[in-house]
Amino acid sequence: MAFLSRVFRSAPRDPDAARHAAEQASRDQEWQSCLENDRIPSFVQRRLADTKSGKLPWVSTTSVGGLLAQRTHGIKPIGLVSGNCWYQYGFSWTRGHYDGWHKAIDRLWREAVALGANAVVDVTMKVQRMADTSGQMDYGVLGTAVSIAGLRESRDPVVATVSALEFARLMEAGIVPVGLAIGAHYQWYYPNQNILGQNMSGLGMGMGGGMAMMGGWNQELTSLSEFLTDVRRTAVGQLQSDAARIGTGVLARVEYSEIEPGEAGEGVPPRYLARHIAFGTAVLHDPRHHVPMRLRSVFSAKDGKMTPQVDLTQEVI
Amino acid sequence: MADDTTPAANPALDQLPKHALERLKGLREAGQQGGVFTSDLSVNEFLMVREAGFEPLGMVVGSCIYHVGIQYGSWSKNQELNVLSQAMYHARELAMERMEREAHALMADGVVGVRLEVKRLAWDRDILEFLAIGTAIAHRSGHPGFKGPKGMPFTSDLSGQDFWMLLRAGHRPLAMVMGSCVYHVAHQGVLKSLSNLGQNTEITPFTQAMYDARELAMERMQNEAMAAEAEGVVGVQLHEGSHNWQPHVLEFFAVGTAVKPIEDKSLIPEAVSPQVVIPVND
Repeated sequence: MAFLSRVFRSAPRDPDAARHAAEQASRDQEWQSCLENDRIPSFVQRRLADTKSGKLPWVSTTSVGGLLAQRTHGIKPIGLVSGNCWYQYGFSWTRGHYDGWHKAIDRLWREAVALGANAVVDVTMKVQRMADTSGQMDYGVLGTAVSIAGLRESRDPVVATVSALEFARLMEAGIVPVGLAIGAHYQWYYPNQNILGQNMSGLGMGMGGGMAMMGGWNQELTSLSEFLTDVRRTAVGQLQSDAARIGTGVLARVEYSEIEPGEAGEGVPPRYLARHIAFGTAVLHDPRHHVPMRLRSVFSAKDGKMTPQVDLTQEVI
Repeated sequence: MADDTTPAANPALDQLPKHALERLKGLREAGQQGGVFTSDLSVNEFLMVREAGFEPLGMVVGSCIYHVGIQYGSWSKNQELNVLSQAMYHARELAMERMEREAHALMADGVVGVRLEVKRLAWDRDILEFLAIGTAIAHRSGHPGFKGPKGMPFTSDLSGQDFWMLLRAGHRPLAMVMGSCVYHVAHQGVLKSLSNLGQNTEITPFTQAMYDARELAMERMQNEAMAAEAEGVVGVQLHEGSHNWQPHVLEFFAVGTAVKPIEDKSLIPEAVSPQVVIPVND
């Protein structure tokens, strides 16, 4: 620490230091009260208002194709909106993920309302961890607030993971994106000694510790299969009920699941942790009504993969 | 093209070393018969840049090796580390400026496909290398309406395809704009950590740090775009990086291409009717 204080003392004196410190302090205070009371700080509001009025340039995360949608479909970018929530998932990983993401999305949504947007497109999710903090991370969402020609300012802009072009395509087909849906579930499995002893034989090298008991024959580990299937079903069920609040279906779903053994003790079989998480864009449509698309086969001049759906799974877990 | 843009009247040439000028001279002759251009455009990008009415002139580069000053955040305080913010911004600006100068010497209208990279050097954690590299292009018939701010070449990280599409959408690129903010995220006190033990709860000071840092980076990028007289900023990306700093120090970096509507309406194609297609080559 002696070294640190030397660094601070030797630093050239900034004549504005006191003013800067005071500004930062009042900024900090405003952040704190706004985050606690679900409001947007005045300086963010000012920037958003200037962006909305055109005093500041509009900002868009979407590719240039999104600008074309402005000419063809009247979908105009207004500004970049974001939200995040640093969350500690103490007693429940599932609940933590659900709450963390929803809080972040709420904050993004509030910025979109301030911009008078009709929708937020191209929403991406990102997490951030720090080396010395376990059991907690930052859930961050980022997207582009857009207005749609012919619509008045929305009180409740739609939040969607699809791009502006896909948004336009869906609307053309009579399908309305209505928001994000999330489903997550995790569970521990404490296997019965007998079931495991029998099953270890087929489990192979990966699970460790069971070599001596191995029979070497092929067999399904039925109890683990059932357990994982159950966790997945619960998570997908939650995605479904989350989507049912607002729409008739979920599109562009990304999901992630894993199963891993915990520590095995003396004479105690290992327990297993399984988790599954899924996100998607909820849509509202009439299954009896279909607008046909006139499709044409082409060779694409786009480099790389044509699919606009980004693989988010590695990022969000 | 008007005569006053001949190399002799080009002030950017005075600031470049001789061997760079020789290389650039060879490139500019690419527009003439028997010349050669260099680029890192893919085949499709090349075709699309030409389709947009432009010709590639050559690859242009700018680099900057920068010693980042020392600044520590208070252990338990959220705060911007403005010495580091300024270093990150200044070094990128220098690399970009050098690249732009090369493009200007080529009498380019702009640079597409700019990659802006920050590299760590293994032998010193306080020294970072910044690299800007892209392909300089010029309008085939020398239309003067595509230059960036102050008559300098425009810069953009758009691919050849995106560049074509942007013009089709009635906009032209002005400049790559950016905003940087290096932030120290406060450590949590032991008592606070203990009181949160086993709880499902938001850690507000951390949320606030991430939010504030992002907001500052965004605000700076938007102000830069306003200074370039842009109408908007497209393709914005927000990067979070720690560049080998202490665990609680993060950089938020916002970057995008500032654009404005094309003034000469005769350059904008009348009918834009994209059609839904299924590509048959994966």
